[in-house]
Amino acid sequence: MNQNQLSRREFLRLGAMTAAGALLASCKPAGPTTPTEGPGVQPPAEEAITLRMWSHQNPSFVAANEATIAKFREANPTVTIAYENFPYDQFIQTIQTSMAAKNEADVIEMFGSWVQSYAKGGTLAEVPADIMSMSKAQELFYKAPLDGYVWEGKLYGLPNEYNLENGAVLINKRMFEEAGIALPPKWDSWDALVADAKKLVKMDGDVMTVAGFHYVNGDGLGFLYWEGVLERGADYFANDGIHLNFLSPEAKATVQWLVDMAVVDKVVDPFTFNPNSNWVGTAFFQGMVAIGFIGPWIVPEGKRNYPDFADPWDYVRCPYYGNQMSFAADSGWGKVVSPNSPHIAKAWEFSRFCAADAANARAWNVATSTVPALKAVAEDPTLLNDMNWLAPSLEVLPYGRYVGMLQDRDYIWYNVIATRITECMQGQRSVDETMALMHEEANAMIDSKLGG
Amino acid sequence: MTTGVRRRSRLLRSQHIFAGVTLTPIMVYLMFFALLPMVWAVVITLFRYSPTRQGDILGLGGGNPFVGLRNYLDLFSASPNGQLFRVAVKNTLIFALLVLPLNLLITLPLAVLIESVRERLKVVFRTIYFLPTVTSMVAVAIIWGAVYNPTFGLLNLALRAVGLPGRPWLTDATARVLGVPIPMLCVIVTYVWQDMGYNLVIFIAGLQGIPETFHEAAVADGANAWQRFWRITLPLLRPTLTFVIVMTMLSSWQQFVLVDVMMGHGGPSNVTRTLVLHVYETAFRFQEMGLASTVAMALFIIIMVTTLIQMRLLRKEWEY
Amino acid sequence: MAIAQNQFSSVPGSRGRRTLSPLIGRILVHSLLIAGCLLSLAPFLWMLSCSLKSSTEIVRLPPTLFPEKPTLQSYRTIFTDPRVPLGRFYMNSIIVAVSVTAMVLFTSSLAGFVFAKYQFFGKNLLFTLILATMMIPFQVVMIPLYLIIARLNLVDNLGGLIVPGAVSAFGIFLMRQFIEGIPGELIDAARIDGASEFGIYTRVVFPQMGPALATLGIFQFMGTWNDYLWPLIILRTTERRTLPVMLTWYNSQHGSRTDLTMAASVLVILPILIVYFLFQRWIVRGIALTGFK
Repeated sequence: MNQNQLSRREFLRLGAMTAAGALLASCKPAGPTTPTEGPGVQPPAEEAITLRMWSHQNPSFVAANEATIAKFREANPTVTIAYENFPYDQFIQTIQTSMAAKNEADVIEMFGSWVQSYAKGGTLAEVPADIMSMSKAQELFYKAPLDGYVWEGKLYGLPNEYNLENGAVLINKRMFEEAGIALPPKWDSWDALVADAKKLVKMDGDVMTVAGFHYVNGDGLGFLYWEGVLERGADYFANDGIHLNFLSPEAKATVQWLVDMAVVDKVVDPFTFNPNSNWVGTAFFQGMVAIGFIGPWIVPEGKRNYPDFADPWDYVRCPYYGNQMSFAADSGWGKVVSPNSPHIAKAWEFSRFCAADAANARAWNVATSTVPALKAVAEDPTLLNDMNWLAPSLEVLPYGRYVGMLQDRDYIWYNVIATRITECMQGQRSVDETMALMHEEANAMIDSKLGG
Repeated sequence: MTTGVRRRSRLLRSQHIFAGVTLTPIMVYLMFFALLPMVWAVVITLFRYSPTRQGDILGLGGGNPFVGLRNYLDLFSASPNGQLFRVAVKNTLIFALLVLPLNLLITLPLAVLIESVRERLKVVFRTIYFLPTVTSMVAVAIIWGAVYNPTFGLLNLALRAVGLPGRPWLTDATARVLGVPIPMLCVIVTYVWQDMGYNLVIFIAGLQGIPETFHEAAVADGANAWQRFWRITLPLLRPTLTFVIVMTMLSSWQQFVLVDVMMGHGGPSNVTRTLVLHVYETAFRFQEMGLASTVAMALFIIIMVTTLIQMRLLRKEWEY
Repeated sequence: MAIAQNQFSSVPGSRGRRTLSPLIGRILVHSLLIAGCLLSLAPFLWMLSCSLKSSTEIVRLPPTLFPEKPTLQSYRTIFTDPRVPLGRFYMNSIIVAVSVTAMVLFTSSLAGFVFAKYQFFGKNLLFTLILATMMIPFQVVMIPLYLIIARLNLVDNLGGLIVPGAVSAFGIFLMRQFIEGIPGELIDAARIDGASEFGIYTRVVFPQMGPALATLGIFQFMGTWNDYLWPLIILRTTERRTLPVMLTWYNSQHGSRTDLTMAASVLVILPILIVYFLFQRWIVRGIALTGFK
């Protein structure tokens, strides 16, 4: 082949492509343009406006939101809502980069325990008093999810979901029947549950193939820890309400209990079943868990990812320690509004439409299979027709409180509590050493977050 | 005489003009999109910055106060940030220093083997071995995550088929081989698998550039295959080796997608927490972008220093 | 191209000699290579096999190596998913990848030429600066880059991917290495003949760069095609997104539909494979012609 000839053609081809590329780059594809006006520009009433809404990419959430958006459109024909969703793992990146450029969406569906740090930083809009006053909100919503959206006495969003992990456990009914345990199981204490769990464990030589009670996961260990401390009569926060106290006898007793269930009672093997391996949400639907500590939000995920899981399952009230049930919950998904939005009032109207209107909230909860944050929905007796596994969970809703501002929730929950307790179960440290370590790590992180 | 000098200076001037006219827009473009962000990244290391907090000018000040060198001091202190940082440095060093020899030990012999077969087979082998490189790292992480899965993954499936027990590959931080945790080794293996295509192709090209006459002369002198490889091939490949070594390390220092997608959150007990993953988590999950940028600066210095050392040690030779 | 001799023995056939040791050597070499191929291909075959399994079979324990009843159901699901504008994804990816590749080839060859063959004050400093831009992790420059793109009004726009990608430090580096290998005499000769500087570029340097351009072209095309994080930040509307977004489309917060994800992976990889097959014979030739000897 003649080198020169080929390369001249090559050159022309490349030149053409370059020009085409430059042309394409400069021409913008047709489509709805994103509003980039700064805040403060208020359009005259009844003019057609577009609100942008973002959420994460869970298919049932997307469907639920789309349904609500359609209903809002009927009631408000001048308002178009452009709805986009993002993969969960990249969602916070998208939110934060946009916030840096002040062009995030008008309405964002955020997870409750993120909200306080954004509110503290000043990047969320307050709920206007005419949309919902604080007292009204406290009347309508449960304390645990609502308090996640409150910062320094002001409300910054409206929750749709009560993210619940405590109070009920997911059981595999077939395994119970095969082990000869009567259904539904009535556990009056943790010991009773542990006794049943021991019967449900299956081993294949040295390897545990079915966990009797699988609670060793990132979220579960945290929730059980808060609940354990509260029910033993102490607070997991220190006296100043900001630092955490891992050195109280109640804290140690709780962790001892968690560790003993794995190491002494052997209801779960912490090497096979831990936050990084055989996570309860997947292991249960693979038939590897008899009793799983996981909230009812797993139900739609399990159904979607394991459509042919045939074993009958159900939620059952799980026991609590002491006389009064008391646990800490993580708030839940809800709607917040950006202070940079050109249509803040309308955006809040939409958020209220989603979260505070009983019919819409109920439809949203059913579509996403989440526990309702709105009291009216939870107390609606017909709710169980649509989500019959929710009965035991609904009973415990009033006993929850919001876990509180942990400064660095993810670090403390996963890197400190879940990791260190698992390591203790795996024999890396004694319980005393673990408590001391957790105390040091958590409070050091809190200090550094406070700018100390 | 004068005409020659005048001509030369005119030539030099037109050269300089050409260089200036061509290079300036390109450099300005690059500096705008690459250097300006870097400057910003350096500036925020002096602040406590997160886009989740309201600032005054350009997002700085106000809720994102100026803190001077505090971020840097934090990294070297005993605080949790400092500890995580040191863990990340250690893991990144382990990763980069293991990837390099593993990569070279596989790609160089492989290139030699491929070069030794018939032309048509060569093309087939080259294509197949380059396939992993063509794949998106996200896809690779997803596929290999499925391969390592203890219950339904390919690896344990294969092991069980020959009677060996499977094991939790990615989730047990206590299992170590020669001091390196197994999850980290798994990540290394996957990365090398994906990355070897580049070096393979470069080595093949380098081998093809060595004239046959050298080998023929060596054979005539009675050298066997090994001697020919060590005395002739390897020294002549030195420029290629330099490029390969520098670029392999450069990309392994900055590998992010694999550790993030396949392991997530640093893996069990943070054994796969590399510096870039730590930067990402500190910036977005822990909402301290100023601190994250400081970690990035540390990484930048590590990369700079090691690259310069490498290039000095493997100085290029141009003649043979 | 000169074919390096068989490293293990004399070349059979060309010398007409057949002894046992070369034969064993060749068998050994070929078996090693084929074994290596299997290792190289195994995850792909696994991915393909998973994509052909039904949604029941994919979660069955113990897992099967090959699908019992291969089905195209996963692909059908993806193609008929009303939320997935697959055609748009392909189109967007092609537009971005082709544009960026073309621009990078142009700017890199020009800049590489200047760095390789011209002397001027501050050359080494500038080149070091270029290398330095490759040493900073993307996560910290993501925000300022996004701020710049937002200021240019290119958010949610394919231009937001194309414009910042037009100049590549790696491309300039690679091209400089290559062009340094072109003998200076050719260039001097052209100068003596009275060619302008740009004329030298078009008539002397460019014609020899075909294979190198193909090499950089395929590397750049691959990189841009497979880019996952940055497009996710810049592109908001579903119709504007690029293909790699399909890779995590079927992930929920805590799990994924493996069969669908694997099918999506196959769909993402396929175009790259085609491009690679078209360009692959240039690559080795191209790199061989660079200044690595």
